[in-house]
Amino acid sequence: MAEMEVKESSKKGPGVKKSKKKSTRVDLTPMVDLGFLLITFFIFTTTMSQPTSLNLNMPKDTEKPDENTKVKESGSLTLMLGKGNVIYYYYGADPSTMQTTGYKDVRNIILEKKKKTPAEDFFVIIKPDNDATYKNAVDILDEMNINDVGRYAMVKPTPDEFNMIQQTEKAGGIQ
Amino acid sequence: MARAKIKRGSTHVDMTAMCDVAFLLLTFFILAAQFKPSEAIEVVTPSSVSNKHAPQKDFFNVTIDKDNKVYIDMDEGIKGDVLEELAKERNLKFSPDDIQAFKKATFVGVPLSQLNQFTRLSAEQISKQKFPGVPVDSTNNELQAWITAAVNASLGHKLNFLIKGDDASKYTTFSNVIDAFKKNDIYKYNLVTNAEEVPVGSELYKKNMSGAAETKPAGQ
Repeated sequence: MAEMEVKESSKKGPGVKKSKKKSTRVDLTPMVDLGFLLITFFIFTTTMSQPTSLNLNMPKDTEKPDENTKVKESGSLTLMLGKGNVIYYYYGADPSTMQTTGYKDVRNIILEKKKKTPAEDFFVIIKPDNDATYKNAVDILDEMNINDVGRYAMVKPTPDEFNMIQQTEKAGGIQ
Repeated sequence: MARAKIKRGSTHVDMTAMCDVAFLLLTFFILAAQFKPSEAIEVVTPSSVSNKHAPQKDFFNVTIDKDNKVYIDMDEGIKGDVLEELAKERNLKFSPDDIQAFKKATFVGVPLSQLNQFTRLSAEQISKQKFPGVPVDSTNNELQAWITAAVNASLGHKLNFLIKGDDASKYTTFSNVIDAFKKNDIYKYNLVTNAEEVPVGSELYKKNMSGAAETKPAGQ
């Protein structure tokens, strides 16, 4: 984008030295480029750093059994979050049929169950145990959003389930 | 009659004006950008697909750091009232000096008994020291008292309860925090997370795609 040299048109005959007048104009194109580059950079960095928030609604704790949410056994999927990013899951009400999975594969398990059960019966119960991290809990809540699970609840594991997790962890040597 | 001379126009465009605009915009964006205040508590938040921005107004924020310690901070506007309510609730006395110091403090990271010493520390001292955090265990649940005070101080307008946890913090601490909220009959929280793209092909992705024409907010 260099400036075109304007040919001198005036002829003063041979021998007369031309005093070349240099242009005072500066090419501003690179400067504009730089300006817009910086603008783009600032626009991108400002919008990126905004934290988002995940809404969480918890159920009210109640002692009365008839106030508790009823879940159909056929439609329930229980996910227990254990130590070392491991998920234990079982269908229905029998914890002894527990199987193990990880955070990458849990999506397929949720989707499979969702396809098999009528929408109004489908319920996911999330039970993080004491060794689960906060990240695990948020990840699984996020998974609920991703898979569009309408009904889910986060509760504490029962002592039975807790023992089962402990035993499995011991047997599997998960640190 | 002289013929009109056809002037050869120069192909050179004057860039000065464009340059001016570019730098004007640049200045505007630099000035308008909200700089992230350097945080005294280092927290790595997990990511989620939620696309809602965390509320910046009328908030009461509970932070859980990687050592499972709990810190609280709140909107500048309600600080004075919260301390007043807390004093009423716990039969404490705060001098005007204490209240001033509290208003200046960016967060609370100590039990109530050490509060006055804590609020008088400078930012530099705070960044160097480690603090025990606000107690949340069942024997001495001070977080619950803080929440009660915050609720009472902001009667009449909605308070947003933020929970900002570190990736590595234990679920037990989070559950203690939730319990403290529950005892105050608060069941709605905002978990602060980093934005993440919705995985392509997932249910939510399809829903967003099909629902794009509707006015319904995506992801809910």
